[in-house]
Amino acid sequence: DEGWAWGVVLHFFLVNVLVMGMLKSFGIFFVAFQEDVGGSSERISWIGSIMSSLRFLAAPLVAVVCGRLGERPTSILGAGLVSGGCLLSTRATSVPFLCGSMGLLLGLGFACLYQAAAVMTAKRCRTRLAFSNAIARSGMGLTFLIAPFTQFLIDFYGWQGTLLIFGGIMLNLVPSSMLLRPAAAQPPENPDHGCLMAKKDPETLDGCLDETTHGEMQLRSAQELPTTEGLAVSHNKDVSGSETMEKPCQETMTKAKRSHKFFKQRGKEDSQPLLDFSPLTDPIFCIFTWSFLFSHLAYFVPIFHLVARARTLGISSMDASYLISVAGVTEMLSQLLSGWVADQNWTKKYHYYAAYLVLCGATNLLCPLATTFPLLMAYAVAFAVFCGGFMALVLPVLVDLVGVQKLHSYLGFAAFFAGIAAVGGPPLAGWLYDYTQTYVCSFLFAGACALISPISFFFEPSAQKWKLKKANL
Amino acid sequence: EKNITLDSATRIELSCRLDSKYSHLKSLQVTWKRGNETIEHISKTDDSRGIQLNIVDNSKLGSYYCTVKGEEGEISARFHLQVPHIEGREKPIIGYVGDGAIMICKSYGYTPIAWTWYMTNGTEQIAINDSLRADKYIINRVSANVTHLKILKLTKEDEDVYWCEATFELGKSKGKLKLKVLTLMVPLKPFLAIVAEVVSLVAIIFLYELYSKRKEKCAEDEREFDQIEQL
Repeated sequence: DEGWAWGVVLHFFLVNVLVMGMLKSFGIFFVAFQEDVGGSSERISWIGSIMSSLRFLAAPLVAVVCGRLGERPTSILGAGLVSGGCLLSTRATSVPFLCGSMGLLLGLGFACLYQAAAVMTAKRCRTRLAFSNAIARSGMGLTFLIAPFTQFLIDFYGWQGTLLIFGGIMLNLVPSSMLLRPAAAQPPENPDHGCLMAKKDPETLDGCLDETTHGEMQLRSAQELPTTEGLAVSHNKDVSGSETMEKPCQETMTKAKRSHKFFKQRGKEDSQPLLDFSPLTDPIFCIFTWSFLFSHLAYFVPIFHLVARARTLGISSMDASYLISVAGVTEMLSQLLSGWVADQNWTKKYHYYAAYLVLCGATNLLCPLATTFPLLMAYAVAFAVFCGGFMALVLPVLVDLVGVQKLHSYLGFAAFFAGIAAVGGPPLAGWLYDYTQTYVCSFLFAGACALISPISFFFEPSAQKWKLKKANL
Repeated sequence: EKNITLDSATRIELSCRLDSKYSHLKSLQVTWKRGNETIEHISKTDDSRGIQLNIVDNSKLGSYYCTVKGEEGEISARFHLQVPHIEGREKPIIGYVGDGAIMICKSYGYTPIAWTWYMTNGTEQIAINDSLRADKYIINRVSANVTHLKILKLTKEDEDVYWCEATFELGKSKGKLKLKVLTLMVPLKPFLAIVAEVVSLVAIIFLYELYSKRKEKCAEDEREFDQIEQL
């Protein structure tokens, strides 16, 4: 089955490349839209923010859809939404139309794709989850290729032609979504076995009773067994013989009955919670979301302001963009390394996560001391190493805390809260700059966020104990 | 060499000044020229030699030289007096047949008196009159320094080089824009190629799944058969 697991990782990788690439190259579309469709830059940037924030905010809704339809149909639906949105946008003539077609449809599609791929990776790659997650996330490092490609397409075909071609490229996610094969009969092992047993049991019991009753009784279902048993007992000739034969048959029959009941119960359980609000009352969820939120803030803000800070220190824009690309490559490598190290299971994954966050916070707090290009480069490398470290571990830590069964609803709500941070982060960073007139504060703020976020993990052992006590009551 | 941009009539003073390290040199001769003719009435101060010009119309613009001749050799400097430069777009603007296209021309810093648009028909430039063909061309002066030319219902013939001309008090200045008109087929071809690739991948994966399911079913039936035989 390992082949299919790698297929899932490949799909997640493609999702990362295309989704992140589209989000990052939106800036290039921005310029083209402004010239052609008209509209102020504020209105056009709404499209970009709707697109990137819906990716997170629609996650609980997507969790429900995944629960109903399964991951594979949801992923195909997401791919369809994205390419449909791209194709529809080629006919756009005004900014509100683009907001709906590009912002709304693409945002929803991205959310579907991302959620389905993340949960499927967690379900499939049990042993090497951190490493596979890191490989998939390294797709984000390749997005730097998409921006010049987009520019080339726009120069050649205009923005309508580019959107048309992008719609086609996004359609490639449909066959890769088909790689998300549902894990056949893995978690519900007992009931499934019981099902197979129940199917076979009538035949084996056929065999049993045939031997005792000379093939007179025809058993078709386990429910008929009590009546045929009675009939078998009524045969005086073979009573003694049949009794000894019946015992093993009876045992298998009761086993089959028990497993039938078990399976029916499970079926009922699965259909009950449509929108599962239980994560919101779970302390583990609060712990995780707290650190997720702050770590996202700590990640996005410095990225926004690194180039600007380099410029204010007098570094040329060529060198500044060099900083960004070095940081990107370092982050990719550090993600892979961190994933591999976490998979070795030397200690609990969230210990690594907390360690990376603390180091990242310390680096950010030291950033104001970096005033020359070499120092700033050192800061960028260190920041990228630690960020890559904790970013790769987000999903594995959640899986460790919560387990795979309820991953959908937990991930959905966690993404929702992270989305609120993502929406508020950039304006907050901008406001910080306007208020203090220097970029130093944004880095201090990011450092503080990164240090606050692992605090919640200190409460994790006591939260687990509290949960166990509640379950035992 | 120095470029000086003027958009309205002014008095301007150009002066050539030698670096202080040369101040020991005596018997310096300074001549100002424009083209081939020498300019008289040079005003002299201690360390500089300059001319005063009254620029009132286009004929006074151009290149002015000052030459300083000494015993060792001569040095010269050039001044270019010109109207503001208008930038068009180097990359062609892409439009699709049936749609509209907008061409934008901006003047940086200086406000022109008027804007005129021209299209190149063969070798000559024809002015675009938007009142004559109001359903095809719309000229909009969005702000003082920006002009828009909107061409509606594009056809292949509209693929051309367009000029936006800004009229200043002292002259005119042109910017070049290129319009390229594509039919829908042009991006559609790569799109259809990608769709064909997607459909073939989907078919391959689907067939593979069908094949592996059948294999599994056969294997299952065999297993069941074996179990029944054992009993």
